[in-house]
Amino acid sequence: MNRREFMQCAALLVSGVAATRISMALSDEQKHYLARANYNRTPANYFNEAQRRTVAAVAETIMPATDTPGAIDAGVPGFIENMVQDWLNNAERAIFDQGLAELMASTQRSYGKSFEMLEPAQQSDCLEALESAASDSAWYDFGNTQRVFVSDAPFICQMKELTIWGFFTSEAGATQVLRYEAMPMTFDGNRELGPDDSSWAGTPY
Amino acid sequence: MIQSENYDFDAIVVGSGISGGWAAKELTEKGLKVLVLERGRDITPGLDYYGEHAPDWKLPYQGKKPRELYENEYPIQSHGYALNEGNRQFWNNDKDNPYVFDAEKPFYWMRADVVGGRSLIWGRQTYRWCEQDFTANATDGHGIPWPIGYRDLAPWYSHVEKFAGISGEALGLDELPDSEFLKPMEMHALEKTIQGRLRKKAPHVHMTIGRVAILSEDHNGRAACHYCGPCDRGCSTGSYFSSHSATLPAARATGNLTLKANAVVERLEYDAQGGRVSAVHVIDSKTGERSAFRARLYFLCASTVGSTQILMNSRSEAFPDGLGNRSGALGHYLMDHVYGVGVTGIFYDDMDRYWFGNRPNGTYIPRFRNLGGQDDDAGFLRGYGYQGAAMRMDWKTGFNKKGFGAELKESLRKPGPWVFHLAGFGEVLPQYNNRMYLDAKKVGRFGIPQVGFDCQWGDNERMIRDDMLEQGEGLMKAAGAVFTVRMEEMGEPGLGIHEMGTARMGDDPAQSVVNAHNQVHGAPNVFVTDGACMTSSSCVNPSLTYMALTARACDYAVKQLAQGRL
Repeated sequence: MNRREFMQCAALLVSGVAATRISMALSDEQKHYLARANYNRTPANYFNEAQRRTVAAVAETIMPATDTPGAIDAGVPGFIENMVQDWLNNAERAIFDQGLAELMASTQRSYGKSFEMLEPAQQSDCLEALESAASDSAWYDFGNTQRVFVSDAPFICQMKELTIWGFFTSEAGATQVLRYEAMPMTFDGNRELGPDDSSWAGTPY
Repeated sequence: MIQSENYDFDAIVVGSGISGGWAAKELTEKGLKVLVLERGRDITPGLDYYGEHAPDWKLPYQGKKPRELYENEYPIQSHGYALNEGNRQFWNNDKDNPYVFDAEKPFYWMRADVVGGRSLIWGRQTYRWCEQDFTANATDGHGIPWPIGYRDLAPWYSHVEKFAGISGEALGLDELPDSEFLKPMEMHALEKTIQGRLRKKAPHVHMTIGRVAILSEDHNGRAACHYCGPCDRGCSTGSYFSSHSATLPAARATGNLTLKANAVVERLEYDAQGGRVSAVHVIDSKTGERSAFRARLYFLCASTVGSTQILMNSRSEAFPDGLGNRSGALGHYLMDHVYGVGVTGIFYDDMDRYWFGNRPNGTYIPRFRNLGGQDDDAGFLRGYGYQGAAMRMDWKTGFNKKGFGAELKESLRKPGPWVFHLAGFGEVLPQYNNRMYLDAKKVGRFGIPQVGFDCQWGDNERMIRDDMLEQGEGLMKAAGAVFTVRMEEMGEPGLGIHEMGTARMGDDPAQSVVNAHNQVHGAPNVFVTDGACMTSSSCVNPSLTYMALTARACDYAVKQLAQGRL
């Protein structure tokens, strides 16, 4: 690949736009490169429909759409289902399953409705109550960052971690809520930060 | 050059990483027909860097590390800082390549398994050794004296730097000699603020931008860095130095290079009559097929542990304890760096400053302790330097805060305060008891005896750690940190990924394995030029020194050949 072709690939990877849609002729080398670079996987199939609706509503309550996309826009519910199915270990998955079942049962008990049918304030109340009950978990410790998953963290912490991670590493979260620049071409260590400017997304180094 | 039917090649280089790549380049450019043997699989530079520029949302689990896979297949490599899904294809699979691992006394052997070796995934920090590093053993009596000094290596540092391309700032310090520099990378705003405060409040230290084998400008046909960030995924513009971006293409251009991937070297065969190594025995890792190749010269550049494993497994009547091991030093004096210890500070300065672009480099504070003699208040020998970098906190460091909804989203969206980290890298003393060995009872999948380790840090390393913490905290205060956190625990041996020693250099064949030209005592056509040859460890990142030693040894070997001495 020459430099121009390589930059085209980088642009495609970042935009997520199919090459055919912008009528760009790709060389065989570029096709090979892009095929290897695309890690998108088949969707998970772990939740039933009711669980799926509740998980989506919880994720959206944690990271709602505002003037920028929210968890559902960013595909976070699918990410969570994938993580619960494939990434959590058995003990963590059991915590998740039980926590989700309890949340679904308790909203029926308290409000006679499922979580996703509640008013936003009621949804927040439910999650605040869960968080308050979980507040002793090591998950909330200062310094609990860049570390291994807190394996015994309660359901609400699992939901927050997976939602926040899934959101800010999603395409919508990275490019529309944070800022993303795959090919900066330069380094400026003294760029002004406006009061409303977002962090950079991505892997800095 | 090959004139005799007895030889398949003029020279055989084992390993294609930083040292092997340099041996291939230097020897082919001097007209030798060279075979490079690499145990890892081959890759096509650029095309096969499939993690490169993959955004988080295209990585498996959007970048959350697949824990189960790592536990099952990468239990060693995943202990290091560097393994992730963007670069896993370059790393050794620990399940396939076991070694004798003592959980009570662990040594983490970090390995690549690909053509180019760890040059693809190295940290790229490049610092020259100084004269005091070479005289340290002779001065304090640990280890044996180096037979070479800074003067011997300086021209070779220049030689490799001009080709590799090193970005950095000249300081004119004896303790950190300047390289041949491309323009330095820029500092972050906070780093400049800290640098200014340290100049006033801690004038005994010098803070500079990291010296790094990344191009800050176009160089030798390679493009300047595009600041995408994670170099370790591979770089299709060849902007950081690797065997793929630099040395192997140069070797190939001569027409003198043959590279054989999936080629596991079992042993060297010693011809007692000729007093030379006569062949290298190789196993194809895909087919199990065995073969042998003959050459005038053999360069072991298989990494510190890999090269010594080969020497140890090359037993003969003449060398019953391993090739070149009449001294009994082979396998001993294993070193790494004091690693994992440091201080992080939080700063509320420059809150309106940010950055554009991902600088794949940090800052450096060269050694300032025990320079030119023992400091009065230092109970330890030798010294350490600090690597460091500033960044701003973001959602990744604040995701576990309480709350929900728009307010949480808004607070996680914006940069938080600055953090600046000082990560110590300390010199480890050469100790006889720190060693690697071959386990006679356990063999790997090719029937080669497995490596074992017996290595622990001692009092001097612990005192260096204590001083790193104390001094680091003082520097953070001088720099203006409002809050500091100490990283007190030393990483286990191996985790610094600066393992060195085990076939040390020395003038006396009764005490060392290679001579001042990296030539094995008693097997003059074998050269060991990677980290195995190191007689002491300095505190600076070692790869640049391996490059210089390799180029110097190649020059010597080819001159010896021309004079009919080999």
